[in-house]
Amino acid sequence: MSVEQAVAALREAYRTGVPCPPLRGALLAEGDVETAYAVQRAMLAGWVAGGRRPVGAKVGLTSAAVQRQLGVDQPDFGTLLADLAVPDGDQTSMTGLLQPRVEAEVAFVLGADLPHEQVTSVDVIRATDHLLPAIEIADSRVAGWDISIVDTVADNASSGRYVLGTRPVRLADVDLRLCGMVLEHAGEPVSVGAGAACLGNPLHAVAWLAGTLARAGSPLRAGDLVLSGALGPMVPVTPGAAYVARISGLGSVRVCFAGEG
Amino acid sequence: MGVVEELAIRLDEAQQAGKAISQLTATTELDVDTGYQIQAALVARRIQRGELMVGLKLGLTSQAKMTQMGVREVIWGRLTDAMRIPDGGTVEVGRYVHPRVEPEVAFLLTGEPGPFGSAVRAVAPALELIDSRYANFRFTLPDVVADNTSAAGFVLGPWQPVPDGLDNLGVLLEVDGRVVETGSTAAILGDPRRALAQGTHLAARAGVRLAAGWVFLAGAATAAVPLAPGSHVRAVVEGLGTASLKASE
Repeated sequence: MSVEQAVAALREAYRTGVPCPPLRGALLAEGDVETAYAVQRAMLAGWVAGGRRPVGAKVGLTSAAVQRQLGVDQPDFGTLLADLAVPDGDQTSMTGLLQPRVEAEVAFVLGADLPHEQVTSVDVIRATDHLLPAIEIADSRVAGWDISIVDTVADNASSGRYVLGTRPVRLADVDLRLCGMVLEHAGEPVSVGAGAACLGNPLHAVAWLAGTLARAGSPLRAGDLVLSGALGPMVPVTPGAAYVARISGLGSVRVCFAGEG
Repeated sequence: MGVVEELAIRLDEAQQAGKAISQLTATTELDVDTGYQIQAALVARRIQRGELMVGLKLGLTSQAKMTQMGVREVIWGRLTDAMRIPDGGTVEVGRYVHPRVEPEVAFLLTGEPGPFGSAVRAVAPALELIDSRYANFRFTLPDVVADNTSAAGFVLGPWQPVPDGLDNLGVLLEVDGRVVETGSTAAILGDPRRALAQGTHLAARAGVRLAAGWVFLAGAATAAVPLAPGSHVRAVVEGLGTASLKASE
């Protein structure tokens, strides 16, 4: 019962552009992450039935600060859809975004399946075809981003859109732990960080995701895209603004937001 | 004795005793220019005791700290040889009021004016030990300027050739081997090279010329963390290496 009601609340928020109240408490039991993933799967099934194409997954809650804030000790994941990709440098409309925030991440593109339930960094290194710099446009269907773990899991890990760089880089050419990250708005840094901010190393986030998805029966496959998690704090989007993310060794990626109205 | 000298003595004694005092502005109205006069008098006392000027440091170089203090301009302070801590060396926490550490990038200066390439001979990863002499690490802008921008100590890692890009090197602050802060040199005014340009300009305004062999601490790449007795602290800068210190009681 609560799954259907949570799905209905999220669909309404997507349809109207008006965020819903938190799902926890009224619709989902606090801490019931399993049921929250059932909501996420039901939402995804609806999107796929409507012809939308899943292309990979994103890892969320990868920073120690965010995990402390939500009182959790592990990340979460959501599904990436092809139609939510914004071309590098393009302007994206504010329509359909409720309360977007941007963050810079390392995107992994897999060249091999990751079928095992127990995954090591070696598996991820071998399976990685290339890396791209990415901007994730996170968004929440929950009013005021007032989320607990069950709210964000049900809401596809607070996914919005994403922007990928276009110049592939080999894993061996980047220091994923030490790489600097700066997200700039009008030439000024609005968020800074380094690779280690993402679970100590973005590679660890991908290994966690691969094992988690394999255990859930839907392992990562060759060709899948993985957004591994933020390298610094999220920044609320200003309508009309442009953001550039630069990751040391990976290059840069940019996105512009249309003005309101 | 003038009021500037009197306030400098108060700060000097607080630093030597490792005991906090109340803000100077609690009893005396001060502007930033007077703050710099007090700082000059404060460091002059240290020079009279035999310390040597070895460089400059910048403060409030991050957007977050500028917003917190409600300012738009960086501040600068003076470094003496007594503040130098050898790489891997030990500091006694008890000698300070409430020390904190932050990872930085340091420049070795040629003493030549002009563009970055001719003004800087080498670059090093660095740790700065900051220690406000004011209770609870709380101060106004004139207070912190007078207090030599909380300068207390610095560690320099090995000098390296100036890399092609300095504007986005990843920076980690590790305590006992755990990463406690992550950042980038981009946090330093968007690019640490800007820090040198602004520092040179501000120091010149006060009649201070950067000398050959001086060290320039460009600013913090992450938030500062309290220095706990017994801990080992390391700054790691992408492509530059590390600088570390050990804290004793």
